[in-house]
Amino acid sequence: MVSRKTIQEIIILVGISVTLAMVVNFLSPRGIALVGQWNTSKGVITASPTAPEEWKPQEINSAARAKEIFDSGNVLFVDARSGDNYEEGHIPAAVSLPVGQFDEQIESFLNRHSTDARIVTYCSGRTCEDSHNLARLLSDVGFTHVSVFIDGFPGWEAQGFPIE
Amino acid sequence: MSNPRQSIFNNSWIELAARWILGLTFIYASLHKILAPADFAKIIYGYNLFPEIFINLIAIIIPFLELVTGFALIIGFYPRSAAITINGLLLAFIVALTINLIRGHEFDCGCFSAGQSGYSRSPKVTLIRDIIYFVFGLQIILFKGNRRNCFGGLISG
Repeated sequence: MVSRKTIQEIIILVGISVTLAMVVNFLSPRGIALVGQWNTSKGVITASPTAPEEWKPQEINSAARAKEIFDSGNVLFVDARSGDNYEEGHIPAAVSLPVGQFDEQIESFLNRHSTDARIVTYCSGRTCEDSHNLARLLSDVGFTHVSVFIDGFPGWEAQGFPIE
Repeated sequence: MSNPRQSIFNNSWIELAARWILGLTFIYASLHKILAPADFAKIIYGYNLFPEIFINLIAIIIPFLELVTGFALIIGFYPRSAAITINGLLLAFIVALTINLIRGHEFDCGCFSAGQSGYSRSPKVTLIRDIIYFVFGLQIILFKGNRRNCFGGLISG
């Protein structure tokens, strides 16, 4: 049913597609690495954009470490998830700043918190990059002590730490 | 006259319409994946079916396969082979969606990017839509007569 000519034509179509894909991905500022980081035991999953990262946040990569920082006080946990998720449960005393509504909410956030504040962002864990994006946005508007708790709310809750 | 089944598969206007519909759909579907390959890669990860090493390659290549074969269908460049390639892709999508429906796997990373990029459609709706596209593809593959060019003129030979 599939003739030799058809196979040749399919190879040509696939060849054009693969070549075009590789060239565009290589040249595009939104291009990604050929192999991404998809192992949650190694950290937050990401397709690894190839554009150079101008800024990388410090990562807190265990719930126990996050709890130590929490207990030390003088730190502001910022929840990057949606307002609904925040309402359902969050780290005690955390404030909500959904990354999707950053532009609308950052002004009132700036009015309430000094850019010197020590901030820890979090979202839904290692399959979620929102806390990293929020940390970068906060750094862009002048916050200088921002780190990311990469296990997020699920990691915190799984350890049986207090929530509200 | 010929039986209805034969006339559907031999009608060159239906064949042209199928090529336009499938072609435009695939070009449209490819564009936002090409614009946001990292988001698309995460959706592929979310299917929980592919080895980690291949996820990015799939995310890079599939959108361009959709774009090139979609364009080929419309301009009538290797239309039958383009339709076979598209049906191959559709078959892969159908199998992947079916596996996840059967095992009840639905990925929700709780992320903004994934929620906003329009992928939150129900998998059942997507599955039915893909099966309809597959039938369009079959029409193009099984068509026996002279095909028309993209403006409707008959291509002889």
